[in-house]
Amino acid sequence: MNNYLEVKNLSKSFDNFRLHDIAFTLPKGYIMGLIGPNGSGKTTTIKLILNMLKRTDGEVKILGLDNIADEQAAKKSLGVVFDSNYFSDDWKVSQVEKSVSVFYENWNTQRFSELLDKFHISPAKKVKELSKGMQMKLMIACAFSYDAKLLILDEPTSGLDPVSRDELLHILSEYIEDGEHSVLFSTHITGDLERAADYITYISYGELFFSGSKDEFMDSFRIVKGGREELSDDLGKKALGIRDFATGFEALIKTEDIKQFAHLNMEPATIDDIVVFTSKRGEQYE
Amino acid sequence: MKLIISNISGIPIYEQIKQQVKSAIMSGDLHADETLPSLRTLAKDLKISVLTVTRAYTELEEEGFVKNIQGRGCFVLSRGSELLKEQLLCKIENSLLEAINAARVAELSGEELHHLLDILMEEKTDE
Amino acid sequence: MSNIWKSVKLDFSLVRPYVKTICFTMVLPVVFAAINRSLLTGISFAMCFIAMTTGYTFSITEKNSMERLYGILPIRKSDMVIGRYIFIIIMGLTALIFSLIAHPVILTILGESIGIFDYISAAVTGIFLFALYTVFQLPGYYKLGSIKGRVFMYIPVAGFLITLLPITKSPVGESKLLFTVINSPILLMLLAVIFVIAMYVVSISVSIKILKNKEM
Repeated sequence: MNNYLEVKNLSKSFDNFRLHDIAFTLPKGYIMGLIGPNGSGKTTTIKLILNMLKRTDGEVKILGLDNIADEQAAKKSLGVVFDSNYFSDDWKVSQVEKSVSVFYENWNTQRFSELLDKFHISPAKKVKELSKGMQMKLMIACAFSYDAKLLILDEPTSGLDPVSRDELLHILSEYIEDGEHSVLFSTHITGDLERAADYITYISYGELFFSGSKDEFMDSFRIVKGGREELSDDLGKKALGIRDFATGFEALIKTEDIKQFAHLNMEPATIDDIVVFTSKRGEQYE
Repeated sequence: MKLIISNISGIPIYEQIKQQVKSAIMSGDLHADETLPSLRTLAKDLKISVLTVTRAYTELEEEGFVKNIQGRGCFVLSRGSELLKEQLLCKIENSLLEAINAARVAELSGEELHHLLDILMEEKTDE
Repeated sequence: MSNIWKSVKLDFSLVRPYVKTICFTMVLPVVFAAINRSLLTGISFAMCFIAMTTGYTFSITEKNSMERLYGILPIRKSDMVIGRYIFIIIMGLTALIFSLIAHPVILTILGESIGIFDYISAAVTGIFLFALYTVFQLPGYYKLGSIKGRVFMYIPVAGFLITLLPITKSPVGESKLLFTVINSPILLMLLAVIFVIAMYVVSISVSIKILKNKEM
């Protein structure tokens, strides 16, 4: 089995929000970033994958297993990190292991204590005494101790300092190094993904905007800049988003359209640029 | 072998890797039959995406500098440095032809052109 | 280890930091039994108290947003629910056994004589009351959570106040009479046990249904 996560036509309707027709595939051995502004449906997507929310329509396969019909089997090989920890605050780290390890047949106690050492987490400390970064690493240590094949992280870097964020990226790239593990990583801090992610899935206002390789994603767009008089009607139509100001404008356009605007100042777009410009359009036109 | 990735150069990361591998082959830093760093380890060490390194290695293979053997790694081909030299020679020829054509239009004599080349090379070595 | 037992174990880890508090609540009914000079009153008070602590597992999971942990564990929701019921029944039985030892000791010291029928009637009443409280509490907690469902914590208090009326009016001596009226105490016990099991089966299936439909 080469795809660790397959999502097809995933939909969910709420009273005031709709996630519609989300589809993406994460092959084994790679990191995928799930991006989009707050409220775009990233967490909903993850909760649907985990069957914590009931999908309205669609299909999810985790390591080839249906996430509802084979829920228990799928979850044995699945590790999850949320933006805050899901252990009891009053537990000591050693108690976390005792409480959680029984649920996984292949739990490796030695591996857990090695990971605690590596992450500088004292087993005698209570969960509430750990910093946010430490709590995140504790969740990762648990997932690694039963050799989760797929790790899903929901906004793990929000509220973390740059050092912890860098550490996390290092842990993740080590994790996928053997080619046998995959990571789905939702974040709105896209700088984290700029280098390390192999694939990008971009959800905007509950709709899938893009899913594919990160290089392709970033190659598909360019930022053009110029004086206000250079902002033609044609460019206005082609642009996915425009920011104009007293002395000029910046716009995001598709790379396939650049020939027409070759006379303008052109530069590569960052993931942030793409998200910001495409989301602005959504607000204007909705 | 040394590999340094710049985030602000504007050159795509896969291109930077390709260029540096090529110059390592040229300079003799990488010999024939030597392996390139493991794809996934390199991605981890440079904190870049696996796909980016894959693209660099695949293109290097397509251009005939290395050979990827499944499960064993990416080997530098013996004709890698020759190939590179050939390519560069071809590039030099083209550039010189362009210079000659330009000289003709500018009505520069062959002697003057030679002289110009000497000056430029002297300036370059001074740097 | 079956998934149900793993779930029981997890529940025990949850309340472990509060075990002392829970144990302490078992001391008060002893005093109550002594004042009332009644085993039956003491036991029904003890079961009321212990039933008030059944929300602990729910409030700890709610406080720490641990529904997310339950959401990722490789275990069926029905196993989680059954595990929780077993854990709570174990809690109730522990309290009952403790009270059935401690209360008669105190009462004997105070000069009360306790017969085997007092003992059995107290035990059966204790089990019955505890079951009656918890079969309503747990689905309530599953449905509303421990904060919104706080009202379910007071079911035992209401129940206790209701049972208090007839029980205090029938002192220890007269409860023998109660048993002789019903000529077969074994049949009564059997009926009580069947009724308790039936109540739990219904309650557990309601709770499983609630949890399965719950979105986290």
